[in-house]
Amino acid sequence: MQPPVPAPDAITVKNLRKIYTVREGGSWRGKTREIVALDGISFSVPKGQIAGFIGPNGAGKSTAIKILSGILRPTSGEVQVNGLVPWTNRVAHVARIGVVFGQRTQLWWDLSVGEGLALLRDIYGVEPERFARNHARLAEALDLGAIMDQSVRQLSLGQRMRAEIAASLIHDPEILILDEPTIGLDAPSKLAVRAFVHELCRDRGTTVLLTTHDMHDIEALAERVIVIGHGRILADSPFEDLRMTTLSERILELDFHGTPPELALPAGAVETARAPHSLTITFDPRQIPAPALVAHVGHLSGLDDLRISRPSIDEIITRFYADHAA
Amino acid sequence: MTLRPYFTAFGLQWKIGLRYRIAVVAGLVAQMWFGAVTLMAYASVYHAAPDVQAPLSLRQAMTYTWIQQSLFTLLPLGCLPAIGDAAKTGAIVYDLLRPVDMWNWWLSASLARLLGNAVPRAVLLACVAGPLAILVGLGAWSLAPPADLTAAVLSLLSITLGALLSATIVMWWNILTARTLSPLGSYAVGTPLAVLLSGMLLPLPLYPDWIRPFLLAQPFAGITDIPIRIYLGTPIPGGVATGLGLQLFWLTTLTLLGRLWMRQTVNRLEVQGA
Repeated sequence: MQPPVPAPDAITVKNLRKIYTVREGGSWRGKTREIVALDGISFSVPKGQIAGFIGPNGAGKSTAIKILSGILRPTSGEVQVNGLVPWTNRVAHVARIGVVFGQRTQLWWDLSVGEGLALLRDIYGVEPERFARNHARLAEALDLGAIMDQSVRQLSLGQRMRAEIAASLIHDPEILILDEPTIGLDAPSKLAVRAFVHELCRDRGTTVLLTTHDMHDIEALAERVIVIGHGRILADSPFEDLRMTTLSERILELDFHGTPPELALPAGAVETARAPHSLTITFDPRQIPAPALVAHVGHLSGLDDLRISRPSIDEIITRFYADHAA
Repeated sequence: MTLRPYFTAFGLQWKIGLRYRIAVVAGLVAQMWFGAVTLMAYASVYHAAPDVQAPLSLRQAMTYTWIQQSLFTLLPLGCLPAIGDAAKTGAIVYDLLRPVDMWNWWLSASLARLLGNAVPRAVLLACVAGPLAILVGLGAWSLAPPADLTAAVLSLLSITLGALLSATIVMWWNILTARTLSPLGSYAVGTPLAVLLSGMLLPLPLYPDWIRPFLLAQPFAGITDIPIRIYLGTPIPGGVATGLGLQLFWLTTLTLLGRLWMRQTVNRLEVQGA
């Protein structure tokens, strides 16, 4: 018996390095300096997965995204996307991916959304029937009906982003690359974008690679998080694992109607902030379980309210970088 | 390999060009004004020196000026505005993300933009400077018809080559824009070169003898000067075939070299990041 064939990977990256050479000073003979943007990263993304790329500015996320899109050539390393090497088979490769750069627009300012989509149909050679089908599906899912005849320059940012996502999917790409798709969007628009991407992956099996600074995007969407910093992969795991291993801390906040009393805390809990009417305690649930701690403080006089929270993902990541900064 | 995307790019820019109707009218007024001023200058110069054997008669110089003015927007004054915008905003990366041949894609768009701007203006100006001028009794200042039928047909062929040549030169400005990530350089270089060397400022046949062969041999002469000479029936050294040959030569050379430069530029964008 042969073992079952594993699902083929949509994206394979091996030991990818990218070094930029920049000229210092404006002069002709200025010295050049090398900047290592990617220092040998490897990962693979199976078909149909949503993988989130996170990292601070300058970590190498955009460089990786550009290489996978086929618009940037790495210094060394191997990449296969849908079985193609992006930078050597550029035209064939780009026909099979969809890309949204959140800070740029791929639609045409002078045209309406509908005209832009029709133009992309011709560029990608989408057959009329398939175009009509996709058009109807995307218009409904992304709520584009009302803005289809508006010119792109008149759209709000949220409307434009929905139109951009439709534009990136009109040719049924197998892989969707989203570079900060929710940047600058208001809350309802962010929710709409997340819901759509989630359905896209679930219903059509599209592989999605996403970069973001919005940790809620990752929390809501990504089954898997790749943390990148200083051009290296610092972690590559399911989101929950990252949260568990990096930071198991919990935070207990107590509100008092008078001055908070002095407390003798059990091992594993420390007072981390004190305000005129509140107290913040940080604890490790492995040393002191939450119920025990609550029982410990619950009888305090003057206690109005208490809340237990997990640290935000921003804090997790910030802590994560601090731990790996060495 | 389908041609559809390139027709689409053409159609898009043609539409954008036509969308600015007020610009067409404003441009027409400006070109009528410059045309009229130039004509008056020629009239006084020619009348001041009636014995000098000029390479163009006054009537020919006037017709040259009208055609030149009507084709002003056909000149490669700078990059395609859409590419300039895309370079500034960084949206130019999206052009690398399209499954198309970038040269043909940009060329179709550039050609359409030139024609979309130039054709309506040329037709309007030809009507005003031709029949309308004659009707109001300014026949002596009007646009003269082509020298003969052969001249008419050949000048039509030649202006077609001229438009292609201009779009090819615009491609060079587009590449410059993609390299410098700003459209300003292309305008700073393109506008003076095109205005001076195309004969817009002064018809190329009116320059001093010794410099005329050089002016005829440079690529900008092929945009409007050679077609106008064929239209007027004024002799081109080596004949009409030389004129058309020069246009074809520059079209081929600038395309081949331009494609190389484009490939190198795309490589550089791919290496350094857009």
